[in-house]
Amino acid sequence: MTALSKPGKVVVLDGNEAAAKGVALARPDVVAVYPITPQSSLVEHLSSLIASGELDAELMNVEGEHSVLSALQGAALAGARTYTATSGPGLAFMFEPYIRQPGLRLPMVASLVTRDTLTPQCVWGGHQDAMLVRECGWIHMYCETVQEILDSVIMGYKVAEHPEIMLPVNVNHDGNYLSFGVTRCEIPEQALVDDFLGPKNINWHAALDPERPMSVDPLTGNAGGAGPSMFVRYRKGQTEAMAHALDIIAEVHADWAARTGRHHAPLVEEYRLEGAEVALITLGSMTGAAKDCCDALRAGGRKVGVIKVKTYRPFPVAAMARALSQVKAVGVMDRSVSYGWNSGPMHQDTLSTLGKTGLRMPCLSFIGGLAGADITEAHFERAYDAVFKAASGDMPPGPLWVNEKD
Amino acid sequence: MGAFNSLTYNATICLGCGECMMACAKAKSGDADRFDQSRIKIVPAGDNKFEAALCRQCGDAKCVMNCPAGALTKNAASGVVDWNADLCVSCLLCTVGCAYGSITFESSVGHVAKCDTCGGDPACVKVCKSGALGYVTTASIYNDYGKQEDLFAPGLAACQGCNSELMIRHVLRRVGRNVVVAAPPGCIPGMGTVGYNGKAGAKVPIFHPLLTNTASMLAGLKRTYERQGRDVTALALAGDGGASDVGFQSLSGAAERGEHILFLCFDNEGYMNTGMQASSATSFGSWTSTTPVGDKLQGKRTDAKNLPMVMMMHNAAYVATASSVFMEDFYRKLDKALAASKQGFAYLHLYAPCPSGWRFPASLTIDVCRLMVESNFVTLWEYTPETGLVFTRPTDKPKPLESYLKAIGKYRHLAQEQVDRIKKLLEDRLAMLKRFVR
Repeated sequence: MTALSKPGKVVVLDGNEAAAKGVALARPDVVAVYPITPQSSLVEHLSSLIASGELDAELMNVEGEHSVLSALQGAALAGARTYTATSGPGLAFMFEPYIRQPGLRLPMVASLVTRDTLTPQCVWGGHQDAMLVRECGWIHMYCETVQEILDSVIMGYKVAEHPEIMLPVNVNHDGNYLSFGVTRCEIPEQALVDDFLGPKNINWHAALDPERPMSVDPLTGNAGGAGPSMFVRYRKGQTEAMAHALDIIAEVHADWAARTGRHHAPLVEEYRLEGAEVALITLGSMTGAAKDCCDALRAGGRKVGVIKVKTYRPFPVAAMARALSQVKAVGVMDRSVSYGWNSGPMHQDTLSTLGKTGLRMPCLSFIGGLAGADITEAHFERAYDAVFKAASGDMPPGPLWVNEKD
Repeated sequence: MGAFNSLTYNATICLGCGECMMACAKAKSGDADRFDQSRIKIVPAGDNKFEAALCRQCGDAKCVMNCPAGALTKNAASGVVDWNADLCVSCLLCTVGCAYGSITFESSVGHVAKCDTCGGDPACVKVCKSGALGYVTTASIYNDYGKQEDLFAPGLAACQGCNSELMIRHVLRRVGRNVVVAAPPGCIPGMGTVGYNGKAGAKVPIFHPLLTNTASMLAGLKRTYERQGRDVTALALAGDGGASDVGFQSLSGAAERGEHILFLCFDNEGYMNTGMQASSATSFGSWTSTTPVGDKLQGKRTDAKNLPMVMMMHNAAYVATASSVFMEDFYRKLDKALAASKQGFAYLHLYAPCPSGWRFPASLTIDVCRLMVESNFVTLWEYTPETGLVFTRPTDKPKPLESYLKAIGKYRHLAQEQVDRIKKLLEDRLAMLKRFVR
């Protein structure tokens, strides 16, 4: 803890409640809600906070996730700071306004309480829902702990509303493991959060306001013979803002750490990579078990480490390359699949990073934790074994399915 | 432009008593018996009926055109055709022009004479027992709203004869600048209201919602303004596809929640901007590009969803149907809907026949609008939770349905049994609506 930081109140709560507390501290103007497992208790907590007056926000109980995000887009265009949360099928139903939000450059934070997608019918945790929207232009940050959820929701607003970014942020936490897992959590003081976030400035660039009349999102592109240049400029600006967000995310995490004493790796966390021969790459709550396994193996003299990805979109290529350059072989533990590549999505991102940076090493794909399955220390140990074997030339032809026989 | 006031005469109820002529004679000469001095002449028309020779204060008056001396002028303030004694040269060319026989040479005074409406308080109307004579302010809409600013850009690229362009201009004139307009994909943004490539189509804040989320976006926006303590009208200018099909869920949700929105649906019975495909609002039997006519299929196989009735069932603060033919009725409903939208959900359903998609000449849009209502193909009514349903135009003496169907190309192929089905549906729907009258 630095001299600047102030201790907060320590409580015991689960990830959904931590997200709700973080949202309340960020003082949104409008919250739109629709229940879905395993997110429901999050919006229940938020509704209670509004009902009790603890959070002064407009609560919209709308008729589905599509309208949830639509209402919040309208609210943001009138200047509101907004929030919602969803999961799996809810995210799928939200897709149409979801893909529009980044193009409108409307900042907001939405929690994805990640869940595997249908079908087979399933209400349990998995990253497939969030992975399906990884190319939509939202910033995606994955949390490892309940504390990180609370902190990242607040930091999410600072990133989203940064005038050089103006993009929506998904703060993702694992359904079941984080949504309902109860742990210690420190709640920062309201004044600290207010000072950290500063004044709201949501719609300075695009407003629906009679005092500043403008057309929002008129037809662009080839219509009227004007050519595609305006459309291309919009897209390019959005893509550049995404890339630039990596810098801002790092700045914001550093600022938060200075104020609270809590250091979360903003992009990629390197865990025990010094002297490591192989590493496993993780995302979300599985990281805890991976770190425990790593510690145990290290205690036995095996040279292993963990690379945790926090910011998944935009993908932190440079930070990832820095981590990868310290090992000889790597395995990627995905909690979802890429149907097109017969591997995990983050495995593809890792291969791209290797290709882009000229690094060469065996890179295995593990697919685990589907449908709420646990990825235990034992699973991680077997994964390390497989990566060591790959490092010595024994490369499996396809992905290794971690829970296939569980 | 000032008011256009005029006398009206209803021959079907005139008793032929002549009281009006006496009142006029008294007003103009001081002597009620000087019938030659009356500027209104009630004359027998056979069969115990009467006609009136009476100046209609024509807008484009032939007498004024014929006058070589400038003695007759259309008064821009009062609307009366004024006669100036100092300029009149008694050539009588004006009397040749008048089709109503209402400007004539009066030998007793030595010049032409015509009705001057007694300065806006006509003596004849006051004594008319039957009510056959009336005094009306015509073009009141023009006068009331014509001064208000047209808030859409000139030169919107709507099809020739488009009813919707006409109506959205009326709507925004009335609603004014303190508004945010949602124009979901369809004809209304297609004609350029939101704009193209950085050029705006309106002078007010306007946006493209998705086809699916018009009511939700406006709801979030409106709640934010209310939270800020600002009274901004949230106005949707949607089509029937975006309201009754894919946008229905958000519309229904917003109505259920009583969001403070003014939602206008321009019903042209299909996806006309996209190429005239059928929607759930398309009427039975209609040809559209997705309900074509051939050996196997003869147009749309299902009846139109009656969206205004569905919206009434949401118990919205105000629900009404309107037509551009009955503008006073439309404006009255728009005013009520606008007021209701400050406290609840207001839904106004506008019938918008489409010359391009329905296949009738662009010059006949208003005629088709009129026939649509007069044949009971649609009915005009309004609903509030307090009053229940009130018909705002009688439905008891409809014109034959065939007169409407025959005016429109999309029904050209209809077999008699299809026509009969439409007739039955219209009767059933009317009966159902009547049950909501208290």
